[in-house]
Amino acid sequence: MKKNYYVFLMMLSISAAAQDHAMHGMEGHDHEGHLHDTMVDGKLLVVNPERFDRFVSTLKGKQVAIISVSGMVCDFCARGIEKTFVKDKSVLKVDVDLSGGKVLIAYSLDKKINFEEIKKKILSNGQNATDLQVVKI
Amino acid sequence: MGIKSLTAIVILINVLQLEARPISYSGGSTFMMESNNMQDSAYYHYSPTYKYSLGIQHIIKDKYFNSNYSYLRLTYLLNRKNTQNSQRNLYFQSGLSPDDLEHYFYGTHGDWETRRLFAGFGYKKTMLKTLDYIEQYLQVGVAPYIGEYGDLHTWLMLKSRKNDLTNNWDTYPVLKFFKGNALVELGYSDTSNWDIHLMYRF
Repeated sequence: MKKNYYVFLMMLSISAAAQDHAMHGMEGHDHEGHLHDTMVDGKLLVVNPERFDRFVSTLKGKQVAIISVSGMVCDFCARGIEKTFVKDKSVLKVDVDLSGGKVLIAYSLDKKINFEEIKKKILSNGQNATDLQVVKI
Repeated sequence: MGIKSLTAIVILINVLQLEARPISYSGGSTFMMESNNMQDSAYYHYSPTYKYSLGIQHIIKDKYFNSNYSYLRLTYLLNRKNTQNSQRNLYFQSGLSPDDLEHYFYGTHGDWETRRLFAGFGYKKTMLKTLDYIEQYLQVGVAPYIGEYGDLHTWLMLKSRKNDLTNNWDTYPVLKFFKGNALVELGYSDTSNWDIHLMYRF
């Protein structure tokens, strides 16, 4: 048991190093004038501001579907969703806001976004799409 | 301890190590490799839908008996509950040796997970020609930090397992890392020493 304890301590040390890696680059952020503060259909967009602003920075003249997803609790779940949408030729760009439980999908302005179709794609990965907001950039 | 009992233990340890990621997303494949003091093994499974996976698991080297064998495996998602911050799953699992139709296993396992916490359990009955036995496990874990999508994710876990053959609980720490499509899991026990588990999804 004592040996197990030392092994566990060693694992904790490795974990701490991994935490440093993950926290790298999470510096402060100025929210003023950014699209993530926008109201859509009477609801405020709740997204990771840095992630969202980075995502839309090259999407002028496009539209972004912001999908709320339940059950997306790990990177593997999110990765499956991303792979599904990337296969769709009408999709320009995909990102996942894991903390906020959101999937961001960029389309051209002429694309008619169908929430039922999106729900089916999310469900094919085992999660549920619960809400959709569309923002024109 | 008889040879058959030891054979059963080898099979049991192998099966236990590969339960963590039983089904992928629709159309997804998963390849796993495992190495410990008893064996080296490889397992590939394909998920036609998110509800089940089909696969083959091969024991490349049974270090105790210096032999090798395989299972054809089916895992089925019986129930899933998604919430905004959690997911709960209940699975049926089974495996059949193509070399010996009297050698198979079946059982259930489940898990509940948030981005911070994990809890899981498993129950399995393995049948051999002259022997059958039950094994169970419990596992809990905590993520020391919450990584974003694409970051390196880490879990500190504690696993306890018991089987009819040894009739005692073996509890040991497990450290899990994953990033992108790859996962590495390291566990250590005084009884079974190091267990190394590698996984890649595509």
